[in-house]
Amino acid sequence: MNIIRIIVQIAILFGFSFLGDLVHTYLHIPLPGSIIGLLLLFLGLSLNIFSVKWIKQGAGFLLAFLPLLFVPTLVGIIKYPELFTGKGVLILLVVVISTIITMIAAGKSSEVVGNKTKEREQKKKWHKHSSQSL
Amino acid sequence: MAQTLIAILIITLTVIIYLAMNRLYVRFSSPLLSPILTTVLIIIAFLICFHIPYNTYLIGGKWINFLLGPAVVALAYPLYNQRKMLMKHLAPIVTGVCIGLFVGIISGSILAFVFGLHKDMILSLLPKSITTPIAMEVSAQLGGIPAITVVFVMIAGFVGVILGPSFLKWSRINSDMGKGIALGSASHALGTSKASEYGELSFSMSSISMALTAILGAIIGSFIPFFFHI
Repeated sequence: MNIIRIIVQIAILFGFSFLGDLVHTYLHIPLPGSIIGLLLLFLGLSLNIFSVKWIKQGAGFLLAFLPLLFVPTLVGIIKYPELFTGKGVLILLVVVISTIITMIAAGKSSEVVGNKTKEREQKKKWHKHSSQSL
Repeated sequence: MAQTLIAILIITLTVIIYLAMNRLYVRFSSPLLSPILTTVLIIIAFLICFHIPYNTYLIGGKWINFLLGPAVVALAYPLYNQRKMLMKHLAPIVTGVCIGLFVGIISGSILAFVFGLHKDMILSLLPKSITTPIAMEVSAQLGGIPAITVVFVMIAGFVGVILGPSFLKWSRINSDMGKGIALGSASHALGTSKASEYGELSFSMSSISMALTAILGAIIGSFIPFFFHI
């Protein structure tokens, strides 16, 4: 019973992906179809048009086995052995450095904004308190 | 008929190897034994040993690829579960994710340019901080090579797990929120697994940042080709 439910729910997720492909093709939205499907599902769930129950197990199953789904694509690097020799190593270095810079930039900027909003909230609270005591 | 048989054989073999490698990983839980890495190495060794071309492997492999569409759609589910956290910390999350995307794209292209890399490589490199299934889509759309993008995405993930903690400390990003957003924006799912070690808040910040980076990255990615063609 559970297996059938998972299969049906994966079919529903397929439906969203397919719908996204249709939107991509016919409404000329440049986003990939699967991502349009993701946004549609998120919208459906948030607006309560669609129940989490209808996709919960199927989504959980797919996400649990997600790495398996990359295997066929990743095996494709068999065609690009130059990636791991000579100049290829430089590219890997670029990825490492850029990732570190990205991480620091994202973390620092979010902390700065987070602290500012916190300060503002505290000030608001303080104002409220002071006006109440008056 | 023969094609169907080959497809079934390849799918079965891939799934069995993956499940076995997953078991190995659960047993020893070292990031270097991550099942995708070991599975792919075994399959590549197998293909080389028996002189099987990649296109033959794809007869079965394309059916596994077929599930990527619904898997991307499925990412809406964890994002929906975290929606309250997202609304509560909207400003820092959106700032961190946008700055992360911007800095990632700019630093990647500048470094790639300085090192004199080929255009294919630069385009494959841009989606490196996006979670794999979406990074592959974005890479294909940009005109990059999805297989190479997956390698870059995995490296970006390992950087977050292995070097992340010391660089976070060095740059004095101390709050659980900041650490989560940093790891999720730069190192997607692998970074999120590391963020979960800093606690619940850090974990949800990281998984939200990962989802937003993927969605916004795909949106930016779909506009980049227009700039290239001008």
